[in-house]
Amino acid sequence: MALRNTTRRWGVIAQTFHWVIVALVVVQVTLAEMADDLPLGVRKLTLLARHKSVGITILALVILRLLWRWLNEQPPLPEKLKRYERLLAHLVHVALYVLLFAVPLSGWMFSSARGFPVSWFGFFQLPDLMPKSRPLYEALLTTHHVLAWTLVVVAGLHGAAALKHHFVHRDDVLKRMLPFTHH
Amino acid sequence: MRLPTLCLALAATLLAGAVRAAPAPAAQPTASAAGGRFVLDPARSSLQFTFLQAGAQNTGRFPRFTVALDFPGADPAGGRLEVAVDVAALDTGDKDRDELLRSEELFAVAKFPQARFSASQVVKTASGFEADGKLTIRGVTRDARVPFTFREATEGGAAAAYMAGKTVVRRLDFGVGQGEWQATDQAGNDVTVSFSLRLTPAPR
Repeated sequence: MALRNTTRRWGVIAQTFHWVIVALVVVQVTLAEMADDLPLGVRKLTLLARHKSVGITILALVILRLLWRWLNEQPPLPEKLKRYERLLAHLVHVALYVLLFAVPLSGWMFSSARGFPVSWFGFFQLPDLMPKSRPLYEALLTTHHVLAWTLVVVAGLHGAAALKHHFVHRDDVLKRMLPFTHH
Repeated sequence: MRLPTLCLALAATLLAGAVRAAPAPAAQPTASAAGGRFVLDPARSSLQFTFLQAGAQNTGRFPRFTVALDFPGADPAGGRLEVAVDVAALDTGDKDRDELLRSEELFAVAKFPQARFSASQVVKTASGFEADGKLTIRGVTRDARVPFTFREATEGGAAAAYMAGKTVVRRLDFGVGQGEWQATDQAGNDVTVSFSLRLTPAPR
């Protein structure tokens, strides 16, 4: 299998970015939900520290992924797609990239505003993006929640569309993003 | 009395009067370069603390505290420093974290509302001074040495002094951290306490 993309398939590197980010987003939602119900204590802080570290990891991966995308060709959408389907696919992909960038960034911003700076797994501390401020923190927390749930919904649409391609259109849109599959 | 002597006496009296009539150099109680007794100017002073939480620096401040400093300028050995901190007033900028820090397992402010530093000796060091005394937090008293710089100034004819420094306090030495907070992976043991104080001469 090729590392780089071809006109028929996503390469190993693009696939790795895709599936690692999928897994990390699932981890993020799980950690956030687990932490949400807990009172402020060691367990909650531990879960949230992980959540923040994983979020920064996603942010870094998305930046690298976009760079890789620009350095590579993309397998095109199937030719038989209708105009509105192409537009919709394009919109969903742009939204996914924007959200994958905006969700961790808004989390980092609200952590700064709350006065809980972000450390990456305890190895180093990231600079504060915002001054300590309660109104700012509350606004950014809401933003983070709304963006995060929007990401979950848009990712769900994206996954549903991939399944539709596979089972209804019976094309290779899903398969070309799956590792270990061949035509 | 002969005339020249009289003239001299008169001149001396006039001169003395003139000196007395001159404006006093400082209207405030004097704590000049010779040191003196000082109290805190709370509006222009800060007492902060910083600790590591999951690898990130968390900061807070104690907005309510008092300071009394006796600082004999020439020989600091006779100096005294008394600091009393209202622990419950702590402020990290986050209500939940503040409540947590006030709780039984951490500062236990209901039982121990005040932290104190009481030094009856001040020594000169290479870089400034050091107050040697007893630090009491959460009802536990331990020896502590607090290094500081000290500078006197005259501002608009009034005396003032500036005192600044920082020291590391190991929270577990004072029992700040019971139960699950005895672990130091989420909240580090070392807490850096830093202060930047403006002092004014104590009223007499």
